[in-house]
Amino acid sequence: MRILRLGPLGITTHRRTFAVGLALLALLAALLLFALSAGKADIGVLDSLRAAVGIPVGAPADFIVGQVRAPRALTAVLVGAMLGLSGAILQSLTRNPLASPDFIGISMGAGTGAVLTIWLVTASSLWVTAAAAAAGALATAALILALSWRRRGIVPLRLILAGIAVGFVAQATTQYLLTRMDVHDAGNALAWLVGTTTGRTWTHVTVAAIVMAVLAPIVLWNARALRTMEMGEDTARGLGIAVGPARATLAVCSVLLAAGAVAVTGPVGFIALVAPALALRVTRNAGATLIPSALMGATLLLAADQLAQQMPATLQFPVGIFTAVVGAPYLLWLVWRASRGGPA
Amino acid sequence: MTRLETRGAVIGYGGAPIVRGVDVAVPDGQITAIVGPNGCGKSTLLRALVRLLEPSEGTVLLDGDDIHRIPTREVARRVGLLPQAPIAPAGITVKELVARGRTPHQKVLRPWSAADETAVMSALHSTALTEIQDAVVDELSGGQRQRAWIAMALAQDTPLMLLDEPTTYLDIAHQFDVLDLLHRLNNRQQRTIVMVVHDLHQAARYAHHVIAMHDGEVAASGAPAEVFTEDLIRRVFSLEARVLPDPVTGTPLVVPAHGPGGARDHGPDPRPTP
Repeated sequence: MRILRLGPLGITTHRRTFAVGLALLALLAALLLFALSAGKADIGVLDSLRAAVGIPVGAPADFIVGQVRAPRALTAVLVGAMLGLSGAILQSLTRNPLASPDFIGISMGAGTGAVLTIWLVTASSLWVTAAAAAAGALATAALILALSWRRRGIVPLRLILAGIAVGFVAQATTQYLLTRMDVHDAGNALAWLVGTTTGRTWTHVTVAAIVMAVLAPIVLWNARALRTMEMGEDTARGLGIAVGPARATLAVCSVLLAAGAVAVTGPVGFIALVAPALALRVTRNAGATLIPSALMGATLLLAADQLAQQMPATLQFPVGIFTAVVGAPYLLWLVWRASRGGPA
Repeated sequence: MTRLETRGAVIGYGGAPIVRGVDVAVPDGQITAIVGPNGCGKSTLLRALVRLLEPSEGTVLLDGDDIHRIPTREVARRVGLLPQAPIAPAGITVKELVARGRTPHQKVLRPWSAADETAVMSALHSTALTEIQDAVVDELSGGQRQRAWIAMALAQDTPLMLLDEPTTYLDIAHQFDVLDLLHRLNNRQQRTIVMVVHDLHQAARYAHHVIAMHDGEVAASGAPAEVFTEDLIRRVFSLEARVLPDPVTGTPLVVPAHGPGGARDHGPDPRPTP
């Protein structure tokens, strides 16, 4: 076990994990620079950096970079990180690589909550949408938990099946709400439901940053409990983990992270499913690897967003569709591997 | 002397109690074996001794205090547990697994210390796993894997170690490997060991103290020679048996009093022969 100690911080990590983290950060930084400077308007890298942090550099750059590209890219980064973290927690808690919030209905529940505010509240603010998404996600999660709970804990297969069923109900509810809205609201809701980073403002970045700033420390504080619980409840208790409170805290954080992501961009699929699995693969860690999962999610979503955005105008599409197109084959591969008896 | 005991403990999983009011005391510095037929409540008792289950009546006392009033982490520094079916995270190496035994000694912002490293290396050494510390646990043989889990419990560095069926699923050579290891740990490091075992012969050979359970109650407890009598085997296991001295150790050796197909024959198979 090659371990790296970062003395004063008291963080202990594997060298490989640390190297992967650094590499992902570098990749993320490069992607960010690209996202800020590339596009139809030709703005230099330095100018775009200045404009992104609010230093005036001249007419087109100040607006295009400062108000369009920068918030859009940062939204992608933050939402990607939230989804990666949310998925990593859920997959570790349930010991199931299919347990991701967009898969077991939690994102759909968040979507229903958010669409409800578009319908009910005339001048809805993003905070109201976020709160409604959180309420919808928590209610969905509670329902799934109630359906999959059997005397001594969650039954993994029941969790997935109950999640899929509850997800369909949430989706049907959303669609019913759409039919009750006037055309303008329904159009807005539909555009949002696809999952997109287009038109995101600094308000979106702020909401995402605050959700992340509140929840990420709580999650990291419980990281050791999460890893220990992967060895089974009895072992974790034997090692002095207060399993009940730790599991509840982590589950609520995972649900709220997913809800926050949905509130900001709409439901973007597959990132929460794929990012933790990829992070595990490259770090070769045993068990949950939270920070690399978050970095992987951020990198994936920003990369996907750039690929979707830099297409010729006729081919451009929302990032949510892109992640679905790329994520679905991954899911098929997972099923194929499971059917061959390998570790899923 | 005892650090761990139960007083009138009634233990169950919410329905009818499985263990019905038992008083047991775990003698310090000895190996205690809990034996009994399937469903007699021996694993349930063990789970209560490490506060995985809370008695509905009575108490479990650790160093004289109610174990459910001691902070979880503090209990984990005094009592280690090897559950029946622990799960090794995919891809974890032996050393990483053993290192997780240090969990109760760590704080969120405290780095891996020299004491942690010493405890892990010493646990690997005691279990003869030093050579394969970088091997992946999933790829080990059953015996090696069980030793790795015991090493994890060792690294926890608790004066009391409780093991739920540590020899199940192992072949006979590996079963005795594990038991010899437990004996050495007890002998050299004065650890108090409590284990649930099925094999009476093994219990008689390795334990200083035996608790025989029957139908949720303690049927007998004491030294193996006192507990393993033909009368007790009949009462507890409903088995006619002879108790002979083990030719190697002199400890009681329980053998059925009938040959193959004997005492428990329920008559001919009612199905018609083709």
